[in-house]
Amino acid sequence: MNNRLSGETIDMRFTPTELSKQELELQREVRGFLLEELPPGSHEPCLGMAARKNKEFSLKMADRGWVGMALPTEWGGSDRTAVDRFIVVEEMLRWGAPVGHHWVADRQTGNVILKFGTEEQRERFLPAICRGELGFSIGMSEPDSGSDLASVSTKAEATTGGWIINGTKIWTSGAHENDWFVCLLRTSPLEDGNKHAGLSQFLIDLKSPGLEISPIPFLDGSHHFNEVTFNEVFVPETNVVGDLGMGWHQNTTEMAYERGGPDRWLSPFSTVEQLLREARGTDLEPVVSDLFGELIARWWGIRNLSLSVARLIDTGEAPSVESSLVKEMGTRFEQEVIEKLVHLIDLEYSPDSDSLFERLLAQCVVTFPGNTIRGGTIEILRSVASKGLKGLPA
Amino acid sequence: MSDASEVDTLITDTADRLFSQLCDHESIQKAEADGQASDIWSAFADTGFPWISISEESGGSGGTLLDALEVLRLVGYHAAPIPAAETGILGGWLMSSAGLELPSGIVTVLPNGSQGLAVERTGDRLTISGRGLRVPWARVAETIVVPLEIDGQTFAAAIDSSECQISRMTNMAGEPRDTVDFENVDVFAAVLPSEINLETFRFRGALSRTALMAGAIEKMSQLTVSYTNDRVQFGRPVAKFQAVQQHLVWGAQDAALARMAAESAGREANRGPALFEIAAAKLIANQASARATKACHQAHGAMGMTQEYPLHHLSRRLWSWRKEYGGDAEWSSWLGRVAVAQDADGLYPLITGGSAVLS
Ligand SMILES: Cc1cc2nc3c(=O)[nH]c(=O)nc-3n(C[C@H](O)[C@H](O)[C@H](O)COP(=O)(O)OP(=O)(O)OC[C@H]3O[C@@H](n4cnc5c(N)ncnc54)[C@H](O)[C@@H]3O)c2cc1C
Repeated sequence: MNNRLSGETIDMRFTPTELSKQELELQREVRGFLLEELPPGSHEPCLGMAARKNKEFSLKMADRGWVGMALPTEWGGSDRTAVDRFIVVEEMLRWGAPVGHHWVADRQTGNVILKFGTEEQRERFLPAICRGELGFSIGMSEPDSGSDLASVSTKAEATTGGWIINGTKIWTSGAHENDWFVCLLRTSPLEDGNKHAGLSQFLIDLKSPGLEISPIPFLDGSHHFNEVTFNEVFVPETNVVGDLGMGWHQNTTEMAYERGGPDRWLSPFSTVEQLLREARGTDLEPVVSDLFGELIARWWGIRNLSLSVARLIDTGEAPSVESSLVKEMGTRFEQEVIEKLVHLIDLEYSPDSDSLFERLLAQCVVTFPGNTIRGGTIEILRSVASKGLKGLPA
Repeated sequence: MSDASEVDTLITDTADRLFSQLCDHESIQKAEADGQASDIWSAFADTGFPWISISEESGGSGGTLLDALEVLRLVGYHAAPIPAAETGILGGWLMSSAGLELPSGIVTVLPNGSQGLAVERTGDRLTISGRGLRVPWARVAETIVVPLEIDGQTFAAAIDSSECQISRMTNMAGEPRDTVDFENVDVFAAVLPSEINLETFRFRGALSRTALMAGAIEKMSQLTVSYTNDRVQFGRPVAKFQAVQQHLVWGAQDAALARMAAESAGREANRGPALFEIAAAKLIANQASARATKACHQAHGAMGMTQEYPLHHLSRRLWSWRKEYGGDAEWSSWLGRVAVAQDADGLYPLITGGSAVLS
């Protein structure tokens, strides 16, 4: 594999691609499934990946082979491509489907376990992930370590048969509802000048004794964030993922799976669609109609870029610069969409308006500032991406 | 022969090499001062590139529309001061589609067709009077093509440029955009096939500009990455400053977005009407060029504001091309009408399926 994570050997290029016959067939199948399970108008759409958890829905998707679908069949997956996964995710998100329960496991944890985990870990976790049973959280951020993630200080110290963990993780989405989380921990003390060394990844049962989960109410009062504190939490040796001390590298690889997918540009789609649904039969003002024109053009363009990243992943590449560019652009676009709606549509919308469009818009206004922060801020993404940009040919 | 859905890499390499040799800063500057670049044009014409995608029977060079658009992308990338689009996929296309024989010289086309002209018809003969505006390179053209509609039928009229009065005008990049006056000019008009009309011609013009713009934005982005890595302030290259990195990243994104849009639209147009894709691609190119010129100029400081440094060859072309064959308002309104005409459930399928769901 061409190691492009380092951002060194770059020949950045987004190659246009399109869906094959079989891929279009999958798209039709997913649309049919959604039409049956969640007929338009019958459900309150979720706003992208910050979707409600609905285990029953996740199990149904898993029945179709759509959870962990890119994992090998031997571990319960469907051995499908990144593009196939793109198609399923794209349709789910634009429909506002409640994919929250399996979201993290499907997008990243499954890959991490497959790539770095032991045979035993694969056997234990992957089939359950693919059945849609297990919900995972992400244990990266800490009170004093946000963008500067390598400075994490939650410690794992060796003991007989395993490790003892002390410290605090923060902003942990969904820890109160999930089963497991993958944590980046310090396994040897911080060395001067080499903060990337001495970090390791662990699989941790969220029900472990000594582990405490406390809510940090989200700005709208909802329960999304948590603080997770470790007080002498014992984790067995068998839960270390990959090699000791390789946590930083593994974590960087994991982040590459997080970026550039439809979850970074589709969050406002249901809201825009709902505007059109509610406007049916009334004449939209030309400025609003023009806005639809602009938005579908941008969505079409960004989707093509994002799809080409998935295609590149299927050739065995880790296109980290390309996916950072798409994520940075996509999340800013999400905010721009909402700003444009707010600018043009003079309503005093609120979270309990009668109109679904107004409720969704209110929710977007309040929660979308987080879109350019979660999973690495756009400022950090720009630093990463700018190092891989191409100048004039020599 | 290469797969018809892909560009022959030989075309890319040859055109890129040719323009790298011909279109250095001084040559482009000189073309602007002279109002033409006959040496660049003849070297380009010698390769047969202007007539790619026009069949050999009609006097063209063969090849696909994709190949022709790739050449246009490189024309844009190198800011080559030549009427490549007009001679090839616009004027040449209209002539060959109407069964007219192509001249050996430059062809141009009235961007707005017969709009504003008085056309009188007697059998197959037409008499044209009036004024055509912003006609690219009319001053050096051998033939001026006017697409026109009479009684619901579309025709291509090919006019010898010596029969017109041409006044020199330019666009913001100093490219010729002349005023052409016709005074009772007798012309022969050939009927175009039914799929070509003034609307499809406008889309074709927009497609040509998206290819040019995609090339120019990409070069501008690369130029800016290189410049900011060389320019040292406060003891380090300015590209090390995060505020500058933001300009670089935004420029590169718009280059990628515009190229993706242009190439996706080209692929679709190579197969059929592609109205949705072309409209979306032109709007994207327009907006991307606005954002990218701003970011790239800012990252260059005063140097970018000089004639001696080549950024303006690209930025001034982009500001001009943004307004040619449809500005932001025209395309967002066209796309908006199409989007709103879908019901809500059809909105996403339009994004994934494009023109295919419109037919
Ligand atoms: C909705 C949401 C869900 C989240 N879920 C999870 C989760 O499940 N698990 C988890 O581990 N984390 C989660 N996070 C946390 C997220 O990863 C962090 O918020 C993010 O990495 C930024 O860290 P910070 O919030 O501490 O900001 P800080 O790092 O304190 O940054 C503050 C500001 O300074 C800027 N800044 C910092 N350093 C630099 C620099 N070097 N150059 C330029 N600018 C800089 C930042 O861009 C930002 O604008 C979530 C965040 C959100 C908003």
